[in-house]
Amino acid sequence: MTGVIATRPVPGTPRPYDFPPFRRDVLSNGLRLITVHLPGRPLVSASLILPNGAADEAADQAGATVLAARALSEGTERYDAIALIEASERLGATLHAEAGWNATSAGVDVPAARLAPALELLAEMVARPTFPDAEVERLRDERLNDLLQARADPRRRADEAFAETVYARESPYHRPSGGTKETVARLDGRRLRAAYTRGVDPARATLIVAGDLSGLDVSAIAEDLFGSWAADRGARPPGRLVDRSDVASRFVRVIHRPGSVQTEIRIGHRGVPRRIPDFHAVSVMASILGGLFNSRLNMKLREEKGYTYGAHAGYDLRRGAGPFSARAAVNTEATVPAIADFLSEIDRIRERPVDEDELRAARDFLVGVFPLRFETPGAVVGALSGIVVHDLPDDELARYRPAIEAITRRDVAMAARARIEPDRSAIVLVGDADAFGRDLEAAGFGPIVVERDEAPVTEGPAEGVDEEMGPVDDHGAGPAEGAEGPADGRPDEPADPNTRSEVDDGR
Amino acid sequence: MSTPVVSFTDERLPNGLRVIVAEDHLAPVVAVNIWYNVGSKHEVPGKTGFAHLFEHVMFQGSRNVGKAEHIALIQAAGGTMNGTTWLDRTNYFETVPSHQLELALWLEADRMGTLLDALSQENLDNQREVVKNEKRWSYDNRPYGSWNEKLQAHLFPPEHPYHHTTIGSMDDLNAASLEDVREFFRTWYAPNNAVLTVVGDVEPDKAREWARRYFGGIPANPSLPPIGDLALPAVLGKERREVVFDKVPLPRVYFGFRAPPFGDVRLDALDVASQILAGGRGSRLHRRLVRDERIAQDVALFTLGFVGGASVTAGWATVRPGVDVGRVEAAFEEELERLGRKVVSEDELARAKALVEADELGALQRVEERADRLAMYATLFDDPDLINRMLGRYLAVTPEAIRDVAATVLRRDNRVVLTYLPEIPPADSAVVAEPVEIDEEVAA
Repeated sequence: MTGVIATRPVPGTPRPYDFPPFRRDVLSNGLRLITVHLPGRPLVSASLILPNGAADEAADQAGATVLAARALSEGTERYDAIALIEASERLGATLHAEAGWNATSAGVDVPAARLAPALELLAEMVARPTFPDAEVERLRDERLNDLLQARADPRRRADEAFAETVYARESPYHRPSGGTKETVARLDGRRLRAAYTRGVDPARATLIVAGDLSGLDVSAIAEDLFGSWAADRGARPPGRLVDRSDVASRFVRVIHRPGSVQTEIRIGHRGVPRRIPDFHAVSVMASILGGLFNSRLNMKLREEKGYTYGAHAGYDLRRGAGPFSARAAVNTEATVPAIADFLSEIDRIRERPVDEDELRAARDFLVGVFPLRFETPGAVVGALSGIVVHDLPDDELARYRPAIEAITRRDVAMAARARIEPDRSAIVLVGDADAFGRDLEAAGFGPIVVERDEAPVTEGPAEGVDEEMGPVDDHGAGPAEGAEGPADGRPDEPADPNTRSEVDDGR
Repeated sequence: MSTPVVSFTDERLPNGLRVIVAEDHLAPVVAVNIWYNVGSKHEVPGKTGFAHLFEHVMFQGSRNVGKAEHIALIQAAGGTMNGTTWLDRTNYFETVPSHQLELALWLEADRMGTLLDALSQENLDNQREVVKNEKRWSYDNRPYGSWNEKLQAHLFPPEHPYHHTTIGSMDDLNAASLEDVREFFRTWYAPNNAVLTVVGDVEPDKAREWARRYFGGIPANPSLPPIGDLALPAVLGKERREVVFDKVPLPRVYFGFRAPPFGDVRLDALDVASQILAGGRGSRLHRRLVRDERIAQDVALFTLGFVGGASVTAGWATVRPGVDVGRVEAAFEEELERLGRKVVSEDELARAKALVEADELGALQRVEERADRLAMYATLFDDPDLINRMLGRYLAVTPEAIRDVAATVLRRDNRVVLTYLPEIPPADSAVVAEPVEIDEEVAA
């Protein structure tokens, strides 16, 4: 007989953990500086957060902010693109810049010993970019090609169709943060510069530096490199954000993709912004519904029915009300029964209180996993970026675990009833409509619209989803909505469904 | 600058389980990783995809753990976990707050010792459907999704186990039986075929004591089957080509090369060569194809290291609309050929090495990565200390070594070329493919 021990061990005493203490300074030009000393972490991460995001741009300029961030490293007053890339490579530094819905971030990861010269390159990139037309043209064409690719990829197609279905045409969230075929085609160096300089105001920007900073006077280095950076005349505070949805009642939109062996399902509606009073209750509720591996949706659709490799639900928490979505890719034959299961689980969490056990499991996970999230300087910078972008109090991260601990069954029930709206949900499907159309009609989920565009892929409204998401939009304030969805079993394949962030704008 | 040294203890329990523990108290977290020396290369004809399906079954419960309870318990403990299957191995891992280490070890021991007690047809059927949906999701319903299957099939002969992918075939997945699970478990999931690593906030003596307590009673398999000789000729001998029509808007050219086995020092040079060719925006292929000539949307080149006879170097370029596919292929080839002819400059090599060094530094920050690497080097090379020597090996790569490995690996008679073309050509672009010889053997 095999000698395993039947008794489950009891946990030891938790070692106390606090989010690493951070220090705030203000440089002479008003730029805020946050430094976090993390002993033993020699790869330093630095990120400059500017307040201009894709949600702030004019509709006819859509994509300018995202493309402008990408163009920052394409040339500065002192360096052309190649010289800048080579200079950073010599330092073993990765220089990057990206924009999301909420903000633009430009940063560098570099061994601590070479932090100062790496920050010098970062300062050069953000203070003196030239947006050369020839390079901008290339990036613009790459983005247009990427939109073509997005249209052919069922999951990107579904994310894109879901956003345009849920949000009113006047809302930026209706389109991809990287812009559409029509708007991107119009972008040039001048428009990118204008999009970038909207955010060039040191008094509204923050530099975050984390890692083993022993022996480094980061505030002196930063003052030296960033202290004379001045606001641009084109700087503008973000305007009022339209995040309206015009969906009044449930309906089904099908994008016909002949021969698809799976259907990409998205069900949801306009959700909530990051700054809401019931953030912690919403986080716990979303974890139970579709965030944890053993969430209700995953246990039902995957572990009981075998319809999918993974079913998830959660909120994309932005400055405005980003979407709530429940989603999975299911084998074509399972399309209609899978939708029925989604809808019944969504109803169930609104109509009946969750069990004490599942509440405890969700709280314990969110609280317990907290120290695991901040092992690297990059992760610490990401969490602090969320504080900056969403203008949250400095003790937000310290408050997180007690706030989660305090969530009750009643809080979860209230969050579910207030924050999930089944009757205003759009059901968006990308799959083979000929295979499931009849069953779909019979199921009575709501009015059905089927779009068949079997024409060449370059025709029709080619919109896509931004692939380049930076740390700014990644996971909001760190422990944000729901949870990651770990899954058992996957080969080491190029694509990993578990790395999908709950708060990116849709890959 | 140097990377921190990973100090560890290394012992074998009487039942053959190798236990490696590395202490690091920076964060109150600990990573557990178990590598089983079994992967898709151990599958026999008609059973492709089985090692991976089996890995899913490992989460369906054991004598003292219910279906999906492993994951529930780890999550409730504030931990994360997963399992992965690859050609040479299968691994299972958890990262937990350090006071929960004992739970993770108990869970791993329970399924190593008693998986079959909980095995049921219902659970096997359920996970078979999940895995089939994983295959649809990762391969069948994804643009260009078949490239990896096709490259492996071309690079390795049908009798070699790297001929097929870890995901396997739908037919073979459908055929998998409970008896297959039992047989596979009894053969391969034995302590003497596994390495357990524990890295993080733990007292090594305590971790080793727990490893002995929980795993010590699991019997060894005294008759682990040897794997046959997987040696292969160093080069393919002749170029192989295939044209694939797919639901893609842009053509893409994939390249695959047979490379030296994982662990061979020539692979170190090939990794640095890949950095020079395609590692980021300063690399040669990106600079020429994407930036200067603007004929490609993106480029890639990397090596997947395998120990069974040969590794795979794979790369691709996505062709911009209106550009001749043959021109992209020719430019790609020219850059590889040039690297095999002329030595790189000191500056170019120094830049590549600086990036390799920073990558290494970044990766080793995480306890999960350190646990994985210790288990990998112990399993594949019986040498966990490689974790401390790999960076030095990369930094020792010479310009001549790069030239030589590029000349012997990245050459025409050692490559597979897959050309993906749109089923329906985009209306506003002239997709042009050069006439190519289709290799009937695999293209069918």
